[in-house]
Amino acid sequence: MEEQLKIDFEKLLEKSNFSKKNIEIKRKNFNNFIEKGFPNKREENWKFSDLNQIISKNIKNLSFYNDLSKPNKIDQSTFIDGLEHNKLVFVNGRIEKIEFDYEEKNNIEILDDLVLEIPNNVNNSLLFLNNAFVSKFFKLIIKKNYSLKKPLVIYNITNKDLVSKSINLKFDILLEENSSLKLIEFSNDKSTTNFININYNFDVKKNSILKNYKIDNNPNSNIKYYFNNINQDTNSVSEIFLLSSGSEFIKNEINCDLNGKYASAFVNGVFLLNGSKHHEIKTNINHLVENTKSYQLIKSVLEDESKAVYQGKIFVDSKAQKTDGYQLSKAILLNDNTEFNAKPELEIYADDVKCSHGSSSGSLNEDSIFYLMSRGLNYKEAKKLLINGFLLDVVEKITDSEIKNLIKNIMSLKQ
Amino acid sequence: MLKIKNLKADIDSKSILNNFNLEIKPGEVHAIMGPNGSGKSTLSNILSGKKGYNVSGEVLFENKNLFELETEERAHKGIFLAFQYPLEIPGVNTNIFLKTSLNAIRKANGEKELDAIEFLKLVKLKAKNLKFDEEKLNRQLNVGFSGGEKKKNEILQMSILNPKLSILDETDSGLDIDALKTVADGVNSLRKKDNSFLIITHYQRLLDYIKPDYVHVLMNGKIIKSGGPELALELENKGYENFN
Repeated sequence: MEEQLKIDFEKLLEKSNFSKKNIEIKRKNFNNFIEKGFPNKREENWKFSDLNQIISKNIKNLSFYNDLSKPNKIDQSTFIDGLEHNKLVFVNGRIEKIEFDYEEKNNIEILDDLVLEIPNNVNNSLLFLNNAFVSKFFKLIIKKNYSLKKPLVIYNITNKDLVSKSINLKFDILLEENSSLKLIEFSNDKSTTNFININYNFDVKKNSILKNYKIDNNPNSNIKYYFNNINQDTNSVSEIFLLSSGSEFIKNEINCDLNGKYASAFVNGVFLLNGSKHHEIKTNINHLVENTKSYQLIKSVLEDESKAVYQGKIFVDSKAQKTDGYQLSKAILLNDNTEFNAKPELEIYADDVKCSHGSSSGSLNEDSIFYLMSRGLNYKEAKKLLINGFLLDVVEKITDSEIKNLIKNIMSLKQ
Repeated sequence: MLKIKNLKADIDSKSILNNFNLEIKPGEVHAIMGPNGSGKSTLSNILSGKKGYNVSGEVLFENKNLFELETEERAHKGIFLAFQYPLEIPGVNTNIFLKTSLNAIRKANGEKELDAIEFLKLVKLKAKNLKFDEEKLNRQLNVGFSGGEKKKNEILQMSILNPKLSILDETDSGLDIDALKTVADGVNSLRKKDNSFLIITHYQRLLDYIKPDYVHVLMNGKIIKSGGPELALELENKGYENFN
């Protein structure tokens, strides 16, 4: 693979016109990646999901250069129906559409020729890979006191032309003071066996609100890694909801630094897996100052031989008195071959805090099924009602009612 | 309506019912009384199709072999079990559950399913009759309900589904006097010439409010004595131990 990486990297530099500075940064990132390679289970963070093995098992002849010179057709039927929204559309990793029809243009800015970075998190080789191979680094700025009137949907569409490629995307999103954004990331994949590596960096300033809904629902054989870094200032709110269901493998990593008093972070997620799917969420919520709050709720329903992993960490700095941290994960295992791994971690250096965690997993309650069947529902209907009830609890946490309804529709939870 | 002949039931090779016989005709109310462990709940579980029992003998419901029917098919045919311990079902709205249940049964019987408006009209009326707090219908099924509310909810379901044979498994346990009266009124309002009841209880108290046609004493897995309502009083005076 190293040979391929080198060839593809040189090809990328040759075919693109990156600035001198960026080429220099890219080379450093590239060398760092070559040195470390894909993460494997010897690393604590990856012990439940050996990415190196997963990639070599699922992807034949992975290549890293992706020709972005020609536009791709957008399949309009992919767009979310019945929800007015702004769009950023990526097809096979190439930006095809930027549309903010509902917004005041002077309150939004999009940059795409930024200087890249060398991540200081040296343990995460995938960030090096991302910075080395990303072709455009986007930054979206929501100006002070502006709230987007409609949600922004980032479409990550791949079509059947894309096979065994590594796609790298990188976004910075800055919410200036008193601003707000509802962001839906919507994946639709018709491609096969690609490795998709997406890096988000959210900077949420004072009194701002970020709502981020990540929807991965259509079945596909891609392997995906998302790194979400969130930095929160005073009195800001972040709300993340994941519907993790469609792709063969996903690891969603969320690092959230609560840097301002009264900042709060909510991470809620649903894993709905079947076949050999394997999804993970790894969170690091860092309470760094006084009076911050975090809440995490993850529910999984696993069928066949699927596997879900939740590694949830709450870190409380010695300065962070009056922290309120909570996490809970629950899983329903529909047969014996499924696997659910939970690793809750609390690392607390302050003494006046409220932190709790819990985790449970088990099969569907047969007595409940009997109860429902005795009221005329057949086994399948009873099972579906119980599972939907189990999941609804998480979906109800979504604070935007329009998007909550959309997600209920997608999950067929509408009662 | 219901004919049970030589019913024998084991669980984990422990005999629970043995040589159990009972016949219930349309419109009749039968009470089965017995001490703890006599097999009362096993009987109600077997009649509604709970798995895990090894059974033999014959149980006919309207001349159909009950053992050939799945739990939901028995519900479709008109058998209803009011649970001793109604289950809490998180995330499932009570109203939605009731509508799903009613429509599943109507559909199986070739009747038109009720739409939301027709259903709400029906459920409101029934809830009012049972003094069941309407607001609770919008809550998750039995979640956070008191013991009495759960039991009332069972009777509410029964009155909406209007079954032919209702089995009440210790519905009186855990009810205060007022709730007991409401529940009994609910049952009495359903007494018709075609609807039958099998009331399973420890105590004679419930039978003050729901007058049974027959009372049976169940001990060690079989009926040891049958009689009229006066048998319940005799039991209450003597106790189970001295009954033999």
